[in-house]
Amino acid sequence: MMKTILKAKLPEMLEQLAKEYKVLVPAKLEGVSRFAAYRENLELALDENVTMPPKDIFFPQTEEMYKFAAKDQSLEIEEIPQDEKLQVIFGVRSCDMKSIDCLDQVFLTKGFSDPFYQDKRDRSILIALSCVKPMESCFCTSMGIDPQKGQGADIQAYDLGEKLAFEGITERGQEVLNKVSGMFAEEDAAIPPMGEFNLTANVEGVPEKLKNMFDHSIWDDISRKCLNCSACAYVCPTCHCFDIASEVRGEDGVKIRCWDCCMFDEYTVMAGGHQPRPGKKERVRNRFLHKLRYFPERYNMLLCTGCGRCVVKCPVNLDITNVIKKIKEA
Amino acid sequence: MSEMTKKMQEIAREILVKGEAEVVIGWEKGTFWYLSPPAFIDKPEDVQRLVWDDFCHNNLSKYLVDLKNHEGKAAVFVKGCDSRAFNRLLQDKQIAREKVVLIGIPCPGLLDQDKAKELGKNSDLPKAQKCLDCQYPNPLVYDYYLGDKEALNEVAATKEAADYSDVAAIEAMSPDERYDFWTKQYDRCIRCYACRNVCPACSCRECVFDQTRVGWIGKANNSSENQFFALTRAMHVAGRCIECGECERACPMDIPIMLLNKKLVKDINELFGEYDAGIDIEGKLPLGHFDKNDPEEFM
Amino acid sequence: MSVKEMPQNWEPKILVFACNWCTYAGADLAGLSRLQYPPNIRILRVPCSGRVNPQFVIRAFQRGVDGVLVAGCHPGDCHYVSGNYFTRRRYLLMQRLLQYVGVDPERFQARWISGSEGPKFQQVVTQITEEIRAMGPNRKLRDAQ
Ligand code: SF4
Ligand code: SF4
Ligand code: SF4
Ligand code: SF4
Ligand code: SF4
Ligand code: SF4
Ligand code: FES
Repeated sequence: MMKTILKAKLPEMLEQLAKEYKVLVPAKLEGVSRFAAYRENLELALDENVTMPPKDIFFPQTEEMYKFAAKDQSLEIEEIPQDEKLQVIFGVRSCDMKSIDCLDQVFLTKGFSDPFYQDKRDRSILIALSCVKPMESCFCTSMGIDPQKGQGADIQAYDLGEKLAFEGITERGQEVLNKVSGMFAEEDAAIPPMGEFNLTANVEGVPEKLKNMFDHSIWDDISRKCLNCSACAYVCPTCHCFDIASEVRGEDGVKIRCWDCCMFDEYTVMAGGHQPRPGKKERVRNRFLHKLRYFPERYNMLLCTGCGRCVVKCPVNLDITNVIKKIKEA
Repeated sequence: MSEMTKKMQEIAREILVKGEAEVVIGWEKGTFWYLSPPAFIDKPEDVQRLVWDDFCHNNLSKYLVDLKNHEGKAAVFVKGCDSRAFNRLLQDKQIAREKVVLIGIPCPGLLDQDKAKELGKNSDLPKAQKCLDCQYPNPLVYDYYLGDKEALNEVAATKEAADYSDVAAIEAMSPDERYDFWTKQYDRCIRCYACRNVCPACSCRECVFDQTRVGWIGKANNSSENQFFALTRAMHVAGRCIECGECERACPMDIPIMLLNKKLVKDINELFGEYDAGIDIEGKLPLGHFDKNDPEEFM
Repeated sequence: MSVKEMPQNWEPKILVFACNWCTYAGADLAGLSRLQYPPNIRILRVPCSGRVNPQFVIRAFQRGVDGVLVAGCHPGDCHYVSGNYFTRRRYLLMQRLLQYVGVDPERFQARWISGSEGPKFQQVVTQITEEIRAMGPNRKLRDAQ
């Protein structure tokens, strides 16, 4: 037995939840689909995964860390007040659920806990949404992800076509469902089978193989067409590099942390001006070694979920599935 | 295989076999049917990767900047816009003419990638806007030429003038509406700099936007910094933009960057006389010289 | 912005990029001649109007000025021969670009003011100050802080 609701009734349900929680939903905003705070007449984007992943909910592109003021030789530090409200994030696809796991590893494990990330993460209740038809750029199954079951979800939602079904998984998730229980019908529902994937990748043995490929000529070949922009990293749900900067106006300042990317010159340039990764080859190699070797070595999982965003957005179609293929063949 | 693809492969093989160049830069089929990304061919046996189709958008001339300090020669396929980009870089002494073998391809105009993705394979696809606006579909400079020159000259002669109605529509708004429009556009900019990196008019060794420590631009992503980026980029390509539309195509956030570039092209033409970048490499850039009789509005 | 919304005691802040050889001397002459002009302007002396990088102008708006004036020698009089001819081209274009993205035309202006034109300096900055005072604070292109 599952709790079902007509898709047409979804806004009503979200409306109801928004009274208690901050509710974030996939929406089309100014031409780009991304997670946005629910409000009336918001154009929901439920047919396909969103262009911008949920990453910035936990790890915003620009985040103020603290403010400071230097007056009369003394320093005052002012903390930035954090939002206290619980947030319900509805409609996260399996690939993006996995990406949150990747981010958790970085920001919360191995003896480090990033308070900015942790705060937002702890306040979040995740409603995963199953896929029925993959987009032409999706290859999550190749990366060991079940597109119909989101890892780490508090609630799993299933797309049944006309309707949605909900299954409470954690206690927190159950609690959320209880708030709107009156809106659900209880029925037996069959989850539609997953459609065929257009794109695949075979990563078996790739992390191991890469251990001996740092100096391989493959990187010259792969990197040549790369433009060293950061479109791939900034749309990637798992890329998590950042840089910390201060913005100072007179006596007042604020520390900010902003997304950064291993394609940029400033990312690796050293104080004396030495650039250990001077060109395309070194930077592109770092991107793929990080995703397919270093991260698995450290955290025992790939830093790619097969969401396909970079495949679509890279201006020169530097396709990670193709890179994996070339590594296999090398 | 199309006639043109066949010719491309043949000439690429010939160039590599004869050793006229070490690498041939062309296009190959990408992940999806509507993508034809750049391909670098070093070996004669790899030439069969090369294709010519309706989606060979990438402007290949930009890659020649990477080869600036490289010993050998490169051969590169150029459409009309790519040849203008080549001239532009040559004019800035970013590349040496003798190190490049140019293979000209007459361009019938390419199809809109976004529409292709949206509408699917068997639909009637519109041409890309940059191609509708293009006045130079025929390569302006080349060592080899593939295709029928006569037919192309006819195409060029019947080309309609570039359409500036999109720019005019914005000019017709009130200042506040215009500000609103552009704020919305650039609020979604993620500052990935794909537009800059793909651009053949952007070839500075050190770009102002990489100078965050010096303070030319802040790292933060917000309306103000993004607008600083948008306006500065537009001013920096003013008079140098060859209207290849690559910036807008590359933008992952679908920001209508060409609306800024076209505005500048239009104003330069109106203020300082007709000028098309990348046509005449002897001439001076519009912002690189002046005329004593330029319009006077600052008295 | 309507007058009602205007913050109390608000005074426009106007940045004047003045070329050292003409406009700065003109401002000096205005002072020596005891010509009154509004205290709203901040003069930033530059070697030549040609030194004014478009990024300076955008940055000024970011940091909260309500109007920018770029001023230099009359065409033909530039002490570096041709600096101001380049300035003229650059800012004819930039002015249109700024308007295109929604900046009100009054907020960015350029003028030729020579070393002997103390009264012109007074008249130009007074006029700009009054225009901008009537429009209220600039909010466009501004950073949040
Ligand atoms: S590398 Fe590409 S496919 Fe993999 S998670 Fe990142 S954006 Fe998605
Ligand atoms: S990659 Fe998989 S989980 Fe992600 S949207 Fe595509 S099908 Fe769904
Ligand atoms: S792989 Fe593509 S998106 Fe990534 S930096 Fe290179 S050109 Fe840009
Ligand atoms: S802009 Fe001109 S030359 Fe370039 S692709 Fe379009 S039609 Fe061809
Ligand atoms: S490509 Fe688009 S998103 Fe990226 S920096 Fe340029 S305008 Fe911004
Ligand atoms: S600004 Fe855009 S259209 Fe102009 S040359 Fe650069 S990439 Fe091409
Ligand atoms: S010295 Fe005055 S404008 Fe050049």
